[in-house]
Amino acid sequence: MTSGFWHQVRAVAHRDLLRERRRGDVLWVTIPFGALALLLVPLAIGTDAKLLREIGAGMYWVIVMLFGVLVAVGKASRETQPQQDASSLLGLDPAAGYVGRTASSLILLLAFELAVGAVAVGLYDIDLLGVGWLVLTLVVVALGLALLGTLTASIVNSTSAGTALVPLLVAPLSVPLLLGATQAYDGLRYGHTIVSWVLLMAAVVLVVAMIGVLTARPLQES
Amino acid sequence: MKVQTRVRTWPWVAIAFSLVVALALSLVSPRDDVQGELVRIMYLHVPAAWLAYVAFFITFLGSVAYLLTKHLRWDRLAAASAEIGVFFTGLTLVLGMIWGKSTWGIPWTWDARLTLTAIMFFVYLGYLALRRTTDDQVLRASRAAVLGVLGAVQIPLVHFSVVWWRTLHQPPSILRPDGPAIQDPLMMVTLVTGVVAFTVIYASLMVKRIELLHLEEQLAEIERSTERPVAGEAVVVPELGRNP
Amino acid sequence: MNPEPLISLRSVGVRVGSTQILRDVNLDVASGDVVGLFGANGAGKTTALRLMATLIRPVSGTGVVLGADLTSAERYDVRRRIGMVGHVPGIFPELTLLENLVYSARVAGVPLEHAQEALAAVGLAGAADRLAGASSHGMQRRTEFARELMIDRSILLLDEPHSALDRDAVDLVEGLIERKAAEGGAVIVVSHDRDRIEAIAQRSVELRGGTLV
Repeated sequence: MTSGFWHQVRAVAHRDLLRERRRGDVLWVTIPFGALALLLVPLAIGTDAKLLREIGAGMYWVIVMLFGVLVAVGKASRETQPQQDASSLLGLDPAAGYVGRTASSLILLLAFELAVGAVAVGLYDIDLLGVGWLVLTLVVVALGLALLGTLTASIVNSTSAGTALVPLLVAPLSVPLLLGATQAYDGLRYGHTIVSWVLLMAAVVLVVAMIGVLTARPLQES
Repeated sequence: MKVQTRVRTWPWVAIAFSLVVALALSLVSPRDDVQGELVRIMYLHVPAAWLAYVAFFITFLGSVAYLLTKHLRWDRLAAASAEIGVFFTGLTLVLGMIWGKSTWGIPWTWDARLTLTAIMFFVYLGYLALRRTTDDQVLRASRAAVLGVLGAVQIPLVHFSVVWWRTLHQPPSILRPDGPAIQDPLMMVTLVTGVVAFTVIYASLMVKRIELLHLEEQLAEIERSTERPVAGEAVVVPELGRNP
Repeated sequence: MNPEPLISLRSVGVRVGSTQILRDVNLDVASGDVVGLFGANGAGKTTALRLMATLIRPVSGTGVVLGADLTSAERYDVRRRIGMVGHVPGIFPELTLLENLVYSARVAGVPLEHAQEALAAVGLAGAADRLAGASSHGMQRRTEFARELMIDRSILLLDEPHSALDRDAVDLVEGLIERKAAEGGAVIVVSHDRDRIEAIAQRSVELRGGTLV
């Protein structure tokens, strides 16, 4: 009698997006914080326009990596044990829960990337080259971070460190996404092929998605 | 319950012997034409790097085995190997930086292998941090196993990304970090002996660390099986009550 | 021939970390049973309920709930038939009372219109659009009872069901208990209100020293 897997995925994603809409953590805290970080960098390293144009894309992706994790972590940290128990007793498939949480994180991360990206373009005078590839990169990076963040949040769930440990776990594992994104932009800038970088990022997405779905049930063990 | 009482001493003997042999050979092997005496750091740096990769691979295997069998012995294997791996990784990085500073004047060159090693260091540091925050044995084992698999599966992707990245960006115009190829047979023998010696050290440390983890678990089991009050018995009638 | 009990625990022990909470628990709960579970603060009553809800694995003994071994993967398959209302609400404060029920209906595969009906049945139709976080504890609990009305459960586990409820809501809870028992389900009620529970339960058990007496 339990509803279909994708039905449950949609229910969880809808629930989390609704909660975020009411709380506004991403819109009112994480995005402004990311934008502020972009503003602080030139204050520290100098405001030479040529230098900033050179490092702008890289700085943007670093901000996405480091702050984007907070998007996945913030949500997960707000699910209490009674809430998890109630969802479990509704017959929620742990894998559907994982995919649903990832889906809502993906949407929020895309919003984060777009908002902070606009700030980066403005402050660092970044050229928007190969819009199609750029959009694909944004989506793949957001998906990779969403998958990684949601999985590691499940791993640290009910440990004493809680979600504070998630950024430390996610950051080194997201290096292929960081390098893929920055090298893809450089490739567009200098006219090189970027297919291999996009494929590398897609491989990260595939690997983490598989591990996340396969380990969703064992990770729910208490 | 059978309690292990015999503590093995041969691993310490093996470690001491291997260290002496490796260090002695690295001191008697000839100096390099280009690197001079600094080549001797390589006889420790390269084996340490080799062991770091081996150790993390063993952690991966132990993690997979635990997820499949739920036997805690595999968790002990994975944990011990990760601890030793983090040590060897740290050693690799430090020795590499000492060598780099002495040879090129800068400790870090963003070489693909060094960069990958640094990333691996943080991945497994996170693994150890996760283990420290989880008291429950089974919970710790299952969470750590998932992270052990995730970390290991990601490493090849990290490796590719870093190698491609360094390939695109021109290497420094000074000496390459891996140095010239080894020509002298004694140098080759020294290097190989170093790798063998470090492998013996790794294996010996693993034996001792797994032994220690097993003893800790046996102690915990003894404490659990001893008739002790359940948690609820700590709550008693309050002293402050209503006046009769 | 006696049917299989819905819950069967034999010498079950539960540990959290290195702390023993339950030891040598034996209990059979048959179809139609209403069992009162009492005990001092910290005795492990909530742990016992979570065990029977298949949310915790025992470290010793044998536990079978709705035919599923508590140590096997089968326990995931029966969770949908177990309802639990804990003393800490398991609803989302950022969602309205109705949205919480709609979420539950979606996940459990229940028609969405049942959510509105269930909310009305517990007397909260007029507060459907109120945020759960802005609602009183009693209203949140009523919402959880609405969820249990909406979903077909074989076992109902209630942790302090009377707390924070007004008289009408208390009658609602007792009506729910009686209805579930009449339908052939089983109800376990944890409470400090011994008189009230013993009036509706067939039997009572007490948790003392980590075991049921």
